[in-house]
Amino acid sequence: MTLAIVLVVAAVVALALIVRFTISARLQIADSSSTQALQPVDIEAFRNLADPAETEFLRRRLPPAEFRTVQRQRLRAMAGYLQIAGRNAATLAIIGQRALASGDAQTAEAARRLVASALLLRRNTAFALLKIRFALAWPHAYPAGAAFLSRYEKLSAAAMLLGRLQRPDVPVRLFAR
Amino acid sequence: MLQAHSWLWYYLWGTPQVLLFGLGIWLCGRGLWRQWPAFLAFAILGSSGEMAVLAADVIPSVPAQTFWRIYWVVLLVGSLLKFFVIGEIFSRVFNPYPAVSRVGRILVSGFGAALVLTAALFAAFAVRNDTNRLIFGFHLLEQTVFLIESGLIVALFLFAGYFRLSWDRFAFGLAVGLGLSACEQLAAWAVVANASPSSHGRTLLEFLNMATYHVAVLIWIYYLLVPGKAVAKSAVSLPEHNLEVWNRELERLLQQ
Repeated sequence: MTLAIVLVVAAVVALALIVRFTISARLQIADSSSTQALQPVDIEAFRNLADPAETEFLRRRLPPAEFRTVQRQRLRAMAGYLQIAGRNAATLAIIGQRALASGDAQTAEAARRLVASALLLRRNTAFALLKIRFALAWPHAYPAGAAFLSRYEKLSAAAMLLGRLQRPDVPVRLFAR
Repeated sequence: MLQAHSWLWYYLWGTPQVLLFGLGIWLCGRGLWRQWPAFLAFAILGSSGEMAVLAADVIPSVPAQTFWRIYWVVLLVGSLLKFFVIGEIFSRVFNPYPAVSRVGRILVSGFGAALVLTAALFAAFAVRNDTNRLIFGFHLLEQTVFLIESGLIVALFLFAGYFRLSWDRFAFGLAVGLGLSACEQLAAWAVVANASPSSHGRTLLEFLNMATYHVAVLIWIYYLLVPGKAVAKSAVSLPEHNLEVWNRELERLLQQ
């Protein structure tokens, strides 16, 4: 009887998940403006947090207990940045997939690159978040952020290119004047 | 009306099979079998098998043991084909995106292996409640198959949802129908295999299984025959306002 209850509960949870994904997928198709807002990520701050030299400096300067506390706070901040970057990647993946059907070959190619970069970043942020969860339990290990930063730069460039191709009338500034 | 071997019973058993067979023929006629070979095989062979079981149930000269043996074979073949269909859906959803198709394949394979192990554990701990080994084994196999099937479908939805992948319309309908049917049947067969319901209770669960499968087949027909709303894909552009904010961060990055 217990096995039956466990399996029935599992089936109900699975069904609820399927219904939820069905509804959200339908809403995503129906509402083309549903893409959530892109949120800025302070790359400089992230770079600082992910810098192993900075971590090493803190480790040398602080007592072990204090270092662990500070390092956990830094890891939580990193996780926050990564979550925002992951959400941005998901939004750009949706935008890129919608632009894939563009009649203009150059725009379609830019969209394809944007989707590829966005999906890779989404995947990398998931793995990086897993590493941070591990590092939170063991703050002496610090996850590398270089791969994430490089991927984020590529995604940004792909997004810029697609933006310029889709709206040539709107000047998109890549560099400060 | 909710009696075994009533007209409603035979309607709910036979109609989805006829519809599914018709859908298979329609797929063949439209040349879509190249895109959906596993689903075509499932539609034709699976429905034919179920019709054979239905015939064995109706023909009085077929002994009970033979009926259950036929049902076993049909269940094994049908389940195998359904797993191929899930693989086909997976390919349709993930293959256009090389960036995630490999990791998706690894994750789903790993998840599938974990599901097989879990299903085997549930089967091992099931309390034998039927004197006939053939029938008891059949119930356990149903429970095992639907546990793995529903888990794989949920994993498929989770991964595609996480990466915000756009679905092929029919692949989406197939996954929804399979998922709905698998979850309901998992619950029903778990009760039958582990909770020893009364004969009338089993009949009601059979009705529920057949009605759910009927709905699943109707979902497949809807997603295959009714065209979706055209979405102006290229009309969506990057939000200007957000780009400005994004640009500020980029400028900081590129100036370094």
